[in-house]
Amino acid sequence: MGVILEIKGVRKTFGGLVALDGVDLELEEGRIYILIGPNGSGKTTLVNVVTGVYKPDSGRVAFNGRDITGLPPHEIYRLGLVRTFQIPQPFLKLSVLENLLVSKRGQSGEALLKAPLRNSWLMEEIEAVEEAFRILEELKLADLWDQPSYALSGGQMKLLEIGRALMSGARMIMMDEPIAGVNPVLAHEVFGRLQRLRDSMGITFFLIEHRLEIALRYVDHVFAMASGRIIAEGKPEKVLMEPKVIEAYLGA
Amino acid sequence: MVLPPELTLFLTSIVAWTALYLIVSLSLNLEFGFTGIPNFGKALTVMGGAYVAGYLPGRIIVQLTGIGGGKDYIAYNAEIVREVNLFLSQNLGYSVMIFAATILLAAGVGAGLGFIAAYPAIRLREEYLAMSLLAMAEVGKVIGYNYKELVGGTLGVQVPDPLASIEQGLLRFTLMSLIIMGFAVAILLYLQRLVKSPLGRSLRAVRDSELAAETLGKDVVRIKMKVLVLSSVLGAVGGALHAFYTGGVIAISYDRVVWTFWPWVMVLMGGMANNIGTALGVLIFVVVRQLIIFYKDTLAPFIPFDVVWLDYLLLGGVLIAILMLRPEGVLPEKPTYPLSKKIIREIRERVRARISSETLEE
Repeated sequence: MGVILEIKGVRKTFGGLVALDGVDLELEEGRIYILIGPNGSGKTTLVNVVTGVYKPDSGRVAFNGRDITGLPPHEIYRLGLVRTFQIPQPFLKLSVLENLLVSKRGQSGEALLKAPLRNSWLMEEIEAVEEAFRILEELKLADLWDQPSYALSGGQMKLLEIGRALMSGARMIMMDEPIAGVNPVLAHEVFGRLQRLRDSMGITFFLIEHRLEIALRYVDHVFAMASGRIIAEGKPEKVLMEPKVIEAYLGA
Repeated sequence: MVLPPELTLFLTSIVAWTALYLIVSLSLNLEFGFTGIPNFGKALTVMGGAYVAGYLPGRIIVQLTGIGGGKDYIAYNAEIVREVNLFLSQNLGYSVMIFAATILLAAGVGAGLGFIAAYPAIRLREEYLAMSLLAMAEVGKVIGYNYKELVGGTLGVQVPDPLASIEQGLLRFTLMSLIIMGFAVAILLYLQRLVKSPLGRSLRAVRDSELAAETLGKDVVRIKMKVLVLSSVLGAVGGALHAFYTGGVIAISYDRVVWTFWPWVMVLMGGMANNIGTALGVLIFVVVRQLIIFYKDTLAPFIPFDVVWLDYLLLGGVLIAILMLRPEGVLPEKPTYPLSKKIIREIRERVRARISSETLEE
């Protein structure tokens, strides 16, 4: 399969702080990637730059061969790239089910003129609810479907983030610490599901995760970052043994 | 049905004011309750609609009929409008036409004002946006008050009466109140359908987290713009109806207390993002106010200050009571699924059955 995401020379500074110092990455479609690195090494900034939350100072981001540098997030979503947040951003007063439904692609009932014409989108809505329940069952959130999302625990909010991303029908999903606060059994199930989606639909995943003991066995490729640069990449076992990576983590 | 005229007048004004405030408060609820746009300039669009009603219908009739013989419309306003009303009382067709045209034009002006209001709305954060919109409404009032040509400045203008052919007095007021209530109910039904849809869901999503909504494909800028245009259209229609109801337009009556703060209290009292709650808030507020107005003389001996201040005390008192006792309003927000919960539960059971049969196959 071809390259789905290409990042070239991306640089991002906040005042005097250099968060990304010339990052180059190339992701192939249909694989699971993980980005590791110590706190403050620029991982979340990279996701923010790729998904349009920040504009890079320089450099280029291409998704599916299309230049998406500096596009607003909703257009990047439209092209098939979706992300989750490290600090969950649920729609607090919406129920769990509604949170998922919001992210459904191409709802004709969202148009101002069509919205009052219930019959024109009713079938779509039923299908969307079906799809949402499939995801909620797997994330063990189905019993909570009618709860407002502010009532969820931190781990459940994380799962809701994942659910919304899966619901979006994206080609590629970037997840910022998806299993932080999620119990280990469920965390394994979540990653298992990501693998199945990779195999059945060719979805590409790009994860940021610190819980390597759980995550590593599910990923195809590891990137390691430190001080705004990619310092190593390759198979998990190889990258973790790199002296540069060990040094970055241990601060030796 | 024969009621004593006083009681009829009381009920009529409750119907009319409930309807007028229903239109304005529902439009504010769409902006703030559903979409999170803190429109502290609600008076602007109401004023815009009223200005259209004050400026246009009289002049159109004058143009068409030559009434007034070329005299200045503002300077000889009372005289000209009296003749216009005489003309309208004998020409029902013109009355209907002039009423419809004014409402449509008010809606158009409202859309324009909504577009202008959207300019800061998509660039400024909450507090700054609230202040800018408040200031825009004040500017509108000052222009209307000082630029005489528009709606007569300090003296105001009279508005031609589309119901001129009806005997003036109670019957006319009752009929006008019912017409306005017709508009209000239609708007309520329309908005209920609008928010009970994927669109309503997206609006509330934008309100709860703009960032997450953006990354999940919502064009927040466009959504806010559309909401402001739609709600401003509604506000302006409300303003035009108010002008027809009272039969006159004077700029100072479209001030921030009456057409911004009161609608805010009604929305907060009834329940944000809940149209029925807002309607309830409007009804409670209007009834209490009308009681104060109608029983002014009865109340006067018991309070040590002028009764007009009760209105303002009411505003503050109600607001404090809501914030302390029921911060979510009388009817708090609920999930608004387009499908009934029963159907949703059925869908869930279906999905569960399918999942368990799939796992059996494996």
